[in-house]
Amino acid sequence: MRNRALFFGDIRFQWKYGFYFLYLVFTLLYLMILQLLPSAWKPKVAMLLVFSDPAAMGLFFMGAIIQLEKGEHTLQSLSVSPVRSHEYVLSKLFSLGLLATLVALCLATAGKLLDHPMHFILVVFAGSCIFSSIGMMIATKTETLNQFIVATIPMELVINLPAVAYVLGYNHPLMLLHPGCCIMELILFGERMVLASLSLSFWAIGLFLLTIHVVEGFFSTLGGAKK
Amino acid sequence: MIQVENLHFSYTKVPFIQNMNFAVHSGEIFGFLGPSGAGKSTVQKILTGLIGTYQGNVLVQNREVKHPHKDFYETIGVDFEFPSLYEKLTARENLRFFASLYKKTLPLEPLLESVGLASEADKKVAEYSKGMKSRLNFIKSLVHEPQLLFLDEPTSGLDPSNARLVKDLILEQKAKGRTIILTTHNMFDATELCDRVAFIVDGSIRALDSPRNLIMKRGAHQISYTYQSEGLEHQRNVGLSTTADDMMLQMLIKENHLLSIHSSEPNLNDIFSELTGRRLQ
Ligand SMILES: Nc1ncnc2c1ncn2[C@@H]1O[C@H](COP(=O)(O)OP(=O)(O)OP(=O)(O)O)[C@@H](O)[C@H]1O
Ligand SMILES: [Mg+2]
Repeated sequence: MRNRALFFGDIRFQWKYGFYFLYLVFTLLYLMILQLLPSAWKPKVAMLLVFSDPAAMGLFFMGAIIQLEKGEHTLQSLSVSPVRSHEYVLSKLFSLGLLATLVALCLATAGKLLDHPMHFILVVFAGSCIFSSIGMMIATKTETLNQFIVATIPMELVINLPAVAYVLGYNHPLMLLHPGCCIMELILFGERMVLASLSLSFWAIGLFLLTIHVVEGFFSTLGGAKK
Repeated sequence: MIQVENLHFSYTKVPFIQNMNFAVHSGEIFGFLGPSGAGKSTVQKILTGLIGTYQGNVLVQNREVKHPHKDFYETIGVDFEFPSLYEKLTARENLRFFASLYKKTLPLEPLLESVGLASEADKKVAEYSKGMKSRLNFIKSLVHEPQLLFLDEPTSGLDPSNARLVKDLILEQKAKGRTIILTTHNMFDATELCDRVAFIVDGSIRALDSPRNLIMKRGAHQISYTYQSEGLEHQRNVGLSTTADDMMLQMLIKENHLLSIHSSEPNLNDIFSELTGRRLQ
């Protein structure tokens, strides 16, 4: 009941605050880039776009959403309502994950990446959850949008660089300790899919639990008292 | 309903809320009256579980508020002193969303009507005036019919007629048996609405009683009257308890010569200054 209410609330919020519009603009832009490329490049570039836009942008958008909520003091209302922190986190991850997955599906179709749709959806969704979780944690730890943006830069590098290196051929098995590389391996349908799935699941679940913990702590500071 | 014992809390290392003790009974309107910065909102945040790092005991509905029962938040309603609304959603969408978080909710239309927002319910909150936001914030705390209501300055920023609307709704809630904690720095509101008020200054309670008792206890009640004699208007004052000794008054009454007569008691503002050495506003 409450989970559903939160989920639809988040979707409405994302719609009204222009996140769907932003994603649409990005998708169109990326589709245009894909169209202009020689077809031999398409799958690889499409992969990078799938990774960077819906998955990794989630980090940034999630942070923006929470900064907006902070600014409007609606989190105070939520924290004196029956909503629990895990419900809050879950709803945010699912709503943004849905959006990311839809966009990724468009890009993958255009880039001829979509041989195994179910598999693809799962991977992108898990990836989105990972990045959104990180964005959420950073957002709860920073005061202003500017601070948040500054704090995400090193994070984006840590997430994106190894993944790009992986696609470009630097694919030592130990790289699969990195969730970004796992996503690439899984989208590529590589030879180490089992390992990559395990590692990705571990990251997704671990970060989800950590985020719940961090958000719980964050909610308990909304009254202004230090922990 | 609420029991607070030896409450201490501070945002910083400097002590702030110190040794507070009070109880709120079921069905009453309990007011916190005090100047800006006294700690009224802080106490409300502690009572609603938003601040968990206090010392002492704070029992709300017989349970330490730090460790609330899982249905606790179904039963309390909180109106913050600041708007707590999604600016880009309409008033109706805001209400609908917050209502959807509860098991039980009231129909929204009558609620919107009750504070005169029905015709503007489809406007975005960003386009609302301060007073409209404040009214919406207020009814938002009522959507789930809470047994216990926390209202932080619900009438601040409202024009007199809207303040009247809100005050009537508060009284209506009381008539339904709800318990209400009301924070204000308006002594007229406190006198009118509250069964009991706590005067709070610099984080501690300086007095706690019904407005009437606070006034009566201090109030040297006086009657002042005016009359005409030799073409001039005169005024005299006499203590209410000694009217029988005032021969002039007796005579004027017998002869129907009084021009005016009224009793004057101090108001809560005067009492507040007298007890705490501070002005309210
Ligand atoms: N989030 C916070 N962090 C640190 N200090 C705070 C915080 N909120 C309030 N304070 C401090 O606590 C004191 C009491 O604030 P509080 O909001 O409880 O006052 P109040 O009685 O509600 O005043 P007002 O009538 O202006 O609303 C003030 O000195 C304020 O600076
Ligand atoms: Mg206040």
